[in-house]
Amino acid sequence: MSTTYTLNVNGQNQEVTVNNPEMPLLWVLRDLLGLTGTKYGCGENECGACTVLMNNVATRACITQVQSVVGKTIVTIEGLSPNSTHPAQLAWIANQVPQCGYCQSGQLMAVASAMLAGNHGANIFAQVHNVCICGTYSRILQAVDTL
Amino acid sequence: MRRESLPPSSRRDFLATAGAGLTLGFFFEATPRVAEARMPGVAGPPANTQVNTWLNISSSGVVTLTIGSSEMGQGSFSGLAQILAEDLMVDYSAIQTVQGVPATGTPAVGNSIGTFGSTVIRDNYWSMRQAGAAAREMLVSAAMNIIGDQTRANYTVLNGVITYTPTGTNISYGLVAPAAALLPVPENPPLIPDSQFRYIGTTVNRVDIPSKVNGSAIFGLDIRLPNMVYAVVIHSPVFGGVLNGSLPGLPPGVTAWVPLSVVAGTGRGTETTGMVNAVAAVGTNTWDVWQATLNAKLAWKPPANASTLNDANFISEANAALTSAPPYVPGGSNLPPTVYTVEGNLAAANAAIAGAAKVNSVQYTLPYIPHNALEPLNCTVNYVPGVSCDVYVPTQVSSSVLSLVNQMTGLPLNQINVHTTYLGGALGRKIEVDFVSQALQVAMAVGKPVMLMWPREQNFLRDQFRPMAVVQASAGLDTSGNVLGWSYTNVSPSILAQRGYPVGATGDSQATEGSSALPYNFGVRSTQWISHPSPIPVGFWRSVGMSINTFAVESMIDELAALAGQDPYLYRLGLLTDPRWIGVLQAVAALSNWSAGPASGHGLGMAICTYASSYVAEVVDVSLVAGDGYDGQPALFKVNNVWIALDCYLSVNPGQLQAQLVGGMVHGLNAALYGRQNFVNGVPQWPNFYQNRVIRGDEAPQVAITLIPNPEQSNQASAIGGAGEIGVPCLAPALANAYFKASGKRIRTLPFFPTALMYGLGDPGVL
Repeated sequence: MSTTYTLNVNGQNQEVTVNNPEMPLLWVLRDLLGLTGTKYGCGENECGACTVLMNNVATRACITQVQSVVGKTIVTIEGLSPNSTHPAQLAWIANQVPQCGYCQSGQLMAVASAMLAGNHGANIFAQVHNVCICGTYSRILQAVDTL
Repeated sequence: MRRESLPPSSRRDFLATAGAGLTLGFFFEATPRVAEARMPGVAGPPANTQVNTWLNISSSGVVTLTIGSSEMGQGSFSGLAQILAEDLMVDYSAIQTVQGVPATGTPAVGNSIGTFGSTVIRDNYWSMRQAGAAAREMLVSAAMNIIGDQTRANYTVLNGVITYTPTGTNISYGLVAPAAALLPVPENPPLIPDSQFRYIGTTVNRVDIPSKVNGSAIFGLDIRLPNMVYAVVIHSPVFGGVLNGSLPGLPPGVTAWVPLSVVAGTGRGTETTGMVNAVAAVGTNTWDVWQATLNAKLAWKPPANASTLNDANFISEANAALTSAPPYVPGGSNLPPTVYTVEGNLAAANAAIAGAAKVNSVQYTLPYIPHNALEPLNCTVNYVPGVSCDVYVPTQVSSSVLSLVNQMTGLPLNQINVHTTYLGGALGRKIEVDFVSQALQVAMAVGKPVMLMWPREQNFLRDQFRPMAVVQASAGLDTSGNVLGWSYTNVSPSILAQRGYPVGATGDSQATEGSSALPYNFGVRSTQWISHPSPIPVGFWRSVGMSINTFAVESMIDELAALAGQDPYLYRLGLLTDPRWIGVLQAVAALSNWSAGPASGHGLGMAICTYASSYVAEVVDVSLVAGDGYDGQPALFKVNNVWIALDCYLSVNPGQLQAQLVGGMVHGLNAALYGRQNFVNGVPQWPNFYQNRVIRGDEAPQVAITLIPNPEQSNQASAIGGAGEIGVPCLAPALANAYFKASGKRIRTLPFFPTALMYGLGDPGVL
């Protein structure tokens, strides 16, 4: 029994139809809306690769059911800035943060959330608990120190 | 992984073709000539001429470098472009880097386009430079023909523009590229002297990073094809188990079940060709098919030996092998366990140890460790029977993928396209092609383009693990601390044997690396490797055997220093003569201010190793945390600082070297603290990151790095060192040695926290 929802993603209302209202937002974004910048890493709220903003707050999309996000605003890495000019994105380039890059969408969205809450520098870092297997943590710290 | 089994090419071959400006195909040094990187839009090479990198300079002056190797975070695309820019005399940032597509004529394709063993920069440095220089001189020759003055000294080149100095006339590369393509390739074009380097030795920005901050970088799972369906895999929960019984019905969103069998050449250990050890659910999105695999009532038949596949049994088998395994017999079957003499003589070493004033005889035990690349295994296949097969895959060895597709489809190689995507980490697991074979099986069964994925749990449970190991080490000292005898025996399963490679008299090179030819003055020495009979699949893992043996060797050296009552740094110095080992050791001691000693309540530990022609030394600072110990675990501690010194002979991009060293160090730290997989009756126990913990940002130590300076003028006789793996091996022993200093407790079994499911470093109860 399929259900159709209207979601607000990156400033646009979009309809999605799912077989199961419990389908996590992550797979709606990736498989139904083609927004592949949000990554799957663990599927159980451990790694943070799937982090998006929901009503401006960092949210792990892999455990967020699609039925629970109706009426809320979702921002993904694709919507963080129109041309990679969000201060965090600029800091990531300036500090050459990514290695493989797979976790970095989630890292950036977690940072963006902390910035929206009014944090700066090390206070941002303290709120980001995303996993980076490449070990880019020290460069992330360097980068957020400029924010 | 070491590449010593692959013979280096003695020739340096370039192939020039016309048609789209100047195109040079050239061979990477250590790779046999059995594959090519095909440049999009450029005609392939003549039959039987295969290359693996292309340089093209178009008539509009665009420089395109097509690279066969894979980008998995190590920055090698950028590094290769940086090297090329030096002698080609172009602007680095203007070079377009393109992922190559492996293709070939009639010969079989081997592991020829691969990214492993910390090889990309070190093996390709001189080829890349000579390619740049050859192209530059061909372009200049073409310009000379236009100007009509053949005096080379009258021309200078910079940023893709040739200047005829007598008149100041400028000629762009693009203008002369078509004519240059018709000229012979120079044999020994002059290289830019190191003193005039503009790029090499300088930190420049990587080419791939802009796409990795806005979600546009395409990893394997980001491929989207028209009419593509999604497939998710579930394996038998027990290694060696096979599907037993029928497939379930089709829940909503699921269009097919496809049983998956082990394809010849892809199975390891318990996985034998033809066995149906997995099933894929296929449907319209990842979530529905994934849930179907979890909810399905699938019946699996366990293997007869399941009850023997236990950790305790693996350890007892190792101990039994230490006392009773037979020696290697040339031409014999040499089934595991078999004793291989890596170097020296056991009886002589034992005699020297028996006569020593002080003896240390201990065992180090290391677990199976899973890979934890954040991007799970995945592969997308668009197969049109009899016509074509396109494979989109984050692979470390695109030519192995090509081979496999040829084997499974029978398609001629030139009708197969392997598109290597960015790799979201690989760590050695993406050398394998088992998941590729599964994607092909699904594509063949459903007749549609298919993206196949292993959910996280399958990645941790059905891995090809870094081998477990039991190391028996003994050494005898005289009253001054000199080592009179050294005996070292590593018992571990063979990675190479599980892949059908012959293992000769000196054992599996992957298992023995780091255990022999050690630079210390050990008096009489014996190094042995004993093949362990465990059939649990094992595989390459960032730095492979070096990470196992360096833990045992560098812990043992530390124990000997303690036994001799000497400082571990000075003790090592006293046993070393090689200036490069001494150089990095002294550099890291200076960087860490070793002689000042640790702060109160802290401990400093060090370790040193050489890998991929690089030399590294690391020092770790730990401090104990109040409320020591829980669940019988070692006391909780905090890793405060890591200092690293690297001598890689020639640094191309210091910033990227540092990133690789830190990345390797963090990988080693995660493994030392938490890395393990355990087995109960053949069933792996730890399925996700909750149980396979890794450090978060607030737990990452501060890092400082010293790079030994580049030589004034480099030469090809000195090997350039790799950096992709060398950060890993020293971390675990340096950490254990530091912990010993801080706590007085010697850790000989890894990981530190084998049952810690949720405890952070020094922060129990907080994830």
